[in-house]
Amino acid sequence: MSDHHHEPFKFTTPELDQIKKKWDRRNFLTKTSLGIGAVALGSLIGKNLLGKAAGSMAAEGSAASLEEEILRAIPHFAPKAKRVVYLFMSGGPSQIETFDYKPKLVDMFGQALPDSVRQGQRLTSMSSNQSILPIVPSIYKFNQHGQSQTWISEMLPHTAEVVDDLCIIKSIHSEAINHDPAITFFQTGNQLPGRASIGSWVSYGLGSDNKNLPSFIVLVSKNASKDQPLYSRLWGNGFLPTEHQGVQFRSGKDPVLFLDNPEGYDGTDRKEMLDYLSKLSTLQNDAYGDPEVDARIAQYEMAFRMQTSIPEVMSTADETDEVFDLYGPDSRDPGSYASNCILARKLLEKDVKFVQLYHQGWDHHGGLPQGMAKQCKDTDQPTAAFIKDLKRRGLLEDTLVIWGGEFGRTVYSQGKLKPDDYGRDHHPRCFTMWMAGAGVKPGISYGETDDFSYNVVKDPVHVHDFHATLLHILGVDHERLTYKFQGRRFRLTDVEGKVVREILS
Amino acid sequence: MMLLDITTLIGHLHPVVVHLPIGFLALAILFELLSYFKKFEQLKIAIPITIFVGFITAVLSCIFGYLLSLGGEYELSQINNHKIAGITLAVASGLLFISTTDFVKKIFSIPRLIFSSLCVVVLLIMIYTGHQGGSLTHGSDYLSIKLINEPIRKKPSSVAEALLFEDIVQPILIQRCGQCHREGKMKGQFSVQTLETLLKGGKTRAAIVAGSLNKSELFNRITLDPSNEKYMPADGKTPLTKAEIEIIQWWIEKGLATKGKKIAELKVNPEIQSKIAAVLGIGNSTAVSETAITENSKINPEITALSNTALIDSLRNKGVNVRLMLHQPVMLDITIPPGMSASINSIKPILQSIAKNVIWLNLSNNGLTDNDLDFLAGMTNLEKLRLEKNPITDKILTQLSGLKHLEAVNLNETNVSEAGIEKLKQVPGIKRVYQWKEGK
Repeated sequence: MSDHHHEPFKFTTPELDQIKKKWDRRNFLTKTSLGIGAVALGSLIGKNLLGKAAGSMAAEGSAASLEEEILRAIPHFAPKAKRVVYLFMSGGPSQIETFDYKPKLVDMFGQALPDSVRQGQRLTSMSSNQSILPIVPSIYKFNQHGQSQTWISEMLPHTAEVVDDLCIIKSIHSEAINHDPAITFFQTGNQLPGRASIGSWVSYGLGSDNKNLPSFIVLVSKNASKDQPLYSRLWGNGFLPTEHQGVQFRSGKDPVLFLDNPEGYDGTDRKEMLDYLSKLSTLQNDAYGDPEVDARIAQYEMAFRMQTSIPEVMSTADETDEVFDLYGPDSRDPGSYASNCILARKLLEKDVKFVQLYHQGWDHHGGLPQGMAKQCKDTDQPTAAFIKDLKRRGLLEDTLVIWGGEFGRTVYSQGKLKPDDYGRDHHPRCFTMWMAGAGVKPGISYGETDDFSYNVVKDPVHVHDFHATLLHILGVDHERLTYKFQGRRFRLTDVEGKVVREILS
Repeated sequence: MMLLDITTLIGHLHPVVVHLPIGFLALAILFELLSYFKKFEQLKIAIPITIFVGFITAVLSCIFGYLLSLGGEYELSQINNHKIAGITLAVASGLLFISTTDFVKKIFSIPRLIFSSLCVVVLLIMIYTGHQGGSLTHGSDYLSIKLINEPIRKKPSSVAEALLFEDIVQPILIQRCGQCHREGKMKGQFSVQTLETLLKGGKTRAAIVAGSLNKSELFNRITLDPSNEKYMPADGKTPLTKAEIEIIQWWIEKGLATKGKKIAELKVNPEIQSKIAAVLGIGNSTAVSETAITENSKINPEITALSNTALIDSLRNKGVNVRLMLHQPVMLDITIPPGMSASINSIKPILQSIAKNVIWLNLSNNGLTDNDLDFLAGMTNLEKLRLEKNPITDKILTQLSGLKHLEAVNLNETNVSEAGIEKLKQVPGIKRVYQWKEGK
């Protein structure tokens, strides 16, 4: 090993010196003009010319320390949960075939949806030019389950077994009618890309309980039709520091690539390289003060620790046959939804704060009966097994589980309606989600829709309200977790959101 | 308008400029006295010029002071003494300077001792003037013999012990309003210093009327819209916080504006109490929001404030994961990561000293035995306990039976017997006991 690594590193090339000087001058000007200048100006003329604004100007000056202050105040109240698993059913699962039982629809088969129900609601261009919007009831039967006697579709026999652990919200509603804005809205609180995702906010606000693993991990099922795309901005950090973005594990044998050291390269080498690299980064950071440099250092170090933590958490060798049987036949196939559920449980056991599973393929514009059958077969047993497994291990005690998609589906059929085949278009006005575990009341249904499952008639829950409630369960006041970016403070719930206290345990 | 603003600005310079004549004249007198000594004889030559500068700045101070008095912030009667003394000082120092000029010396030379005595007289005038000025700004009781006799109230150690008026309301009012409304400044002929002056009120009417918010002019003024010209504190001075206003409201309405009553005696509701705690800075005084207060009112009141937060750091340094669940009171979620059984004995004393603040505890998968866990009985506020994957037996249950806040116990994969678990389930308060064993 050559020893020069330990010598202090200096920029010596003339070009670099030039750049350095230039930057130094800029830094000097920026800092002095904004800092001393503003203070002098504020105190000299502020009181007379700007009146009361002077006070708030002084507050702006300490923006960075304000962010710290905001973080130091968290948790705002005693949390009920310390981990979250969000099972995201991408594409928009039909509420009518799963949880929202509407027996009266059977008699209305094929009839046009009354205008009094639709109330001029906009439709997507996929069904807006249909001559008739024919009502179609669920092709599947519903039965009552559990002590709560909740109606559940026969397509979800396993979920029905755990219904007494679920808090089913039938009155969730969104603003967006198409996938991209709707899913972006659900994940970031805004229909336009660029905001931070829920998991990033949680990671930013609450930090990590296991420094060897990222606090926000994303798993995408491989065994689903990729009818609607997913993109990494759904688990992006937006304006928050980069180390809070979700880390996606690949669906397959190697969830994280390049964790093994290259040939002839041992752990000590790697550590030495990283130490030196972080020294270089620190030097650069001293010169430019770019927070992204900090993020990069943090990421490199996280990757190093993941070299040992990931193989351990990813190995299913210790899992018994009983566990695989519980999660169903797919569970031995890495990357499937069932296998991801086992993985999620293992990550929770390691105190990973926010785990998000994505399962695509719920966008049933046509051929809904067959589509639903496949989706339910792939997800029903693993989901229920996940709840049972968390429960018996005592993890449901401090973990919140969330299941849901970005919107629901229409009561009328899109395309030609046949007795055994139909489709449903996007419907944001009402759909069903459920939560389970820490912080929510088990075995209840909240909110009601009309006989057509078209409008919410009781206890509506907006997406912002869902976000507010989620943060509340984690001990965070959604109005006080803010981050200043481009001149204003942002929240996950922006300027809205009301905690749904009725579902809190 | 602009001219007026400049005069106000210059007037505001008075408190700065006054220090110049004080400094120069004091220096001149020092020189004069020192010059009696041979070693400092050469200072004599500097005396006239020092007095001259003192004189010029004294004149400036007079002018600035006059402009300041035009601002009307002070009662004219009280300014008078200061004004006369100030002008006298300026004239005296002027005369003193003239007496040192060659022109005067030719006609009449003052004997040295007389000159020195005159210097001391100027010093006395200066001290008097300064004291008068100080009394105007800081209040006549700021520097007085009375101060020594006045009993000083110690900061109360707990909310219950605090006197509502003396320890909370009065300090708030003096801090927020006392700059203008106190003895010696009495804007609007009103002082907030004592309960008597509050009840008496000022020009308008009584400031505080026990039990009636509407009739209490003070409450009226502090709750007006800030843009209203009658809003107090006026001139953009720091307004009262929401919590402070609510405390005052409670004091007027429910506390009937009395003094000498303890919070405990008055039966102040918990919501106001937590605000009082924040104002007093008792416990961790992070800002408490409305929702947090309603949310946290459900919290177990037995959880005490944590006296020594350094203990948390020392636990973390030992590799224990300490998660703060709440700041006020301090609620902790502690996880001892797997494989730390060896150091349990060094962790134990720290755990014992913060035992009352541990609400969730995770000791799973650590190879801990019943004897290792003899500290559990002391954690009386524990709500959730994870003991899974440890070789513990039924003996542990004696530790748990006294924990009356315990809700959930995880005994998965332990050697606790079926009968033991059944017994544990009988303990009132315990809602969930986990006893699953892998592969069975």
